[in-house]
Amino acid sequence: MSATPWILSFRHPRVHWIRSGLTVFAMGLAFFLLCFLISLLTSLNSAVTQASSARLFMQSSVSLYVDLPRGYEAQIRGVDGVDDVTPFQWFGGYYQSPKNFFAQFGVKPDSFFPMYEREMAIVEGPGGVTGAAAGPAALEALRADRRGCLIGADLGRKYGWKVGDTVPVMGTIFQLEGGAAWDFKVVGLYEPLKSNVDGMTMWFRQDYLLESLDAGLASGPDGCGAYAINLEPGADSAAVIAAVDGLFTNGPQRTTTTTEGAFQAGFVSMMGNVPMFVAMIGGAIVVAVFFAVINALLLAGRQRVAETGILKALGFSDGAIARSMLGEAALLTALGVALGVGLTKGMETGIRGSLGTMIPNFAVADQTLLLGVGSLLVVGAVSGLAPAVLLARLRPTQALRNEG
Amino acid sequence: MAAQIEFKKVSKIYVRGGEKLIVLDAMDFSVASGEFIALMGPSGSGKSTILNLAGGLDVPDQGEVHVAGTRVDALRGSALAAWRSRHVGFVFQSFNLVPVLTALENVMLPLNLQPLSKAQRRQQAEYALEIVGLQDRMHHRPRQLSGGQEQRVAIARALATDPDILLADEPTGDLDRASADAVMELMRRLNEEMKKTILMVTHDLAAAGKAGKTMRLDKGVLVEALREAAVR
Repeated sequence: MSATPWILSFRHPRVHWIRSGLTVFAMGLAFFLLCFLISLLTSLNSAVTQASSARLFMQSSVSLYVDLPRGYEAQIRGVDGVDDVTPFQWFGGYYQSPKNFFAQFGVKPDSFFPMYEREMAIVEGPGGVTGAAAGPAALEALRADRRGCLIGADLGRKYGWKVGDTVPVMGTIFQLEGGAAWDFKVVGLYEPLKSNVDGMTMWFRQDYLLESLDAGLASGPDGCGAYAINLEPGADSAAVIAAVDGLFTNGPQRTTTTTEGAFQAGFVSMMGNVPMFVAMIGGAIVVAVFFAVINALLLAGRQRVAETGILKALGFSDGAIARSMLGEAALLTALGVALGVGLTKGMETGIRGSLGTMIPNFAVADQTLLLGVGSLLVVGAVSGLAPAVLLARLRPTQALRNEG
Repeated sequence: MAAQIEFKKVSKIYVRGGEKLIVLDAMDFSVASGEFIALMGPSGSGKSTILNLAGGLDVPDQGEVHVAGTRVDALRGSALAAWRSRHVGFVFQSFNLVPVLTALENVMLPLNLQPLSKAQRRQQAEYALEIVGLQDRMHHRPRQLSGGQEQRVAIARALATDPDILLADEPTGDLDRASADAVMELMRRLNEEMKKTILMVTHDLAAAGKAGKTMRLDKGVLVEALREAAVR
């Protein structure tokens, strides 16, 4: 088999480098857009899909913004099928400026961290302790210091916070007397192990908040926003939900309990049809770019008509003509895929940072990359096959008269 | 002398806009080995069609085309392509070099279909360029060559595989007088010194004068067969 078709496959893109470069760029951009949009949707849903099936969330039947009484915790703990309970208190503060917003939750360390030990790992404790010793050391420090907190490693990287630093956070819901900032001392860093926990959150001791309220040093609602309830192995979640909600049917605050997945899905649904809208617009852009790529390769084929006549007159077979065109399409597709993967993976961290707390778990999954590769391969195959077949079928005399 | 090219009752009909156009009408002629024939006639008389049929680029609607001992009109697909690569060299009016390849690479194109080593292919291509006097331009791309040089590269490419027959379609049509004379002198040498059988379509009387014989066509019929050229 002659190497001529392959030589031409490489030579044409090199000689027509502007057209080839723009085609590769369009392919890479389409790949990036496709992966970015899919990742946006999958990341939004990841907290739902990764949610624990053995965990329930209880909130006020009125709204998540209405707090539940502190005393509910002990009553929930007494229900059959309940393994453990931990309160979550949304703090809603910011660092230095409202634009530096991130999530902060008041929790009870002795129930919260054991409940989430499979979903987050404490990677650094006081004194630079890492590895298996980091968790116990950080929790010990948290117990010892009422102002202690654990922060996500991503959050620490974003603001340059390290273990041992004191972080001032301005309260919005909970405000200290005189409008002062709340001081939290970083005693450990954690990394999420699952996407239902993000790496941009601060977990602090709820009693710091409650005692400040009780002492009249701060103002804000009393109680907690939600309770996380872990089920005993084999417990019937529907029965537990009915039982715990039944406890508070007559108040003082009626409750709605759901699985963790349903609870997370509620947050996603707050965005309404925005994800679908974004996906549709993005999808249209991607399709338009793909058509542009197909058009560029058809044009490349059109420019080869006279050359096809020459090659056929010299004795090159129809198959050799087709291979030459397919080779060019394959080369451009491979470069487009490489550029697309590079752009997507290279910008993943930057995008996650810019999305901040909106979609803290933004990540491009391997399946998404494979889908992008598959899509470009289809585009490359279609856009290469069409001119390849047309050129191969041309009679030499037609091609020499440039009637392709 | 044995016939290198023989047309037996060859007809070719094109249908354009629903109308039948008889381009060749039961044509009979033969060209002996080593002859240099100029095909002349007005546009649409069927000159280029004869070349295309002789080179297996087109197939007749009726009749038989025998070239270099093979019935070409019976060949199809890869067998026809392989036959073309061994027996026929083409020279076209508009030079028709592959623009993304250098002169040397263009000349090596037909050699790439032969069972030769890379060194042999290069050696033969360089020799063909030497014959046409362009060994010093072998690494130039077509757009870096003059029209006359491009046509000489095309002739070198046609010669590279040492085919029995050269088919030239208006080889001087796009050239100035000096370049055309140089190309025709080259064609004459190929015929006389290398004994190539040449069938050339031309409108140029001076070019036809370099051929040994002239055939005139009109409306698909030979009106003047194999007249000895007046000037050589």
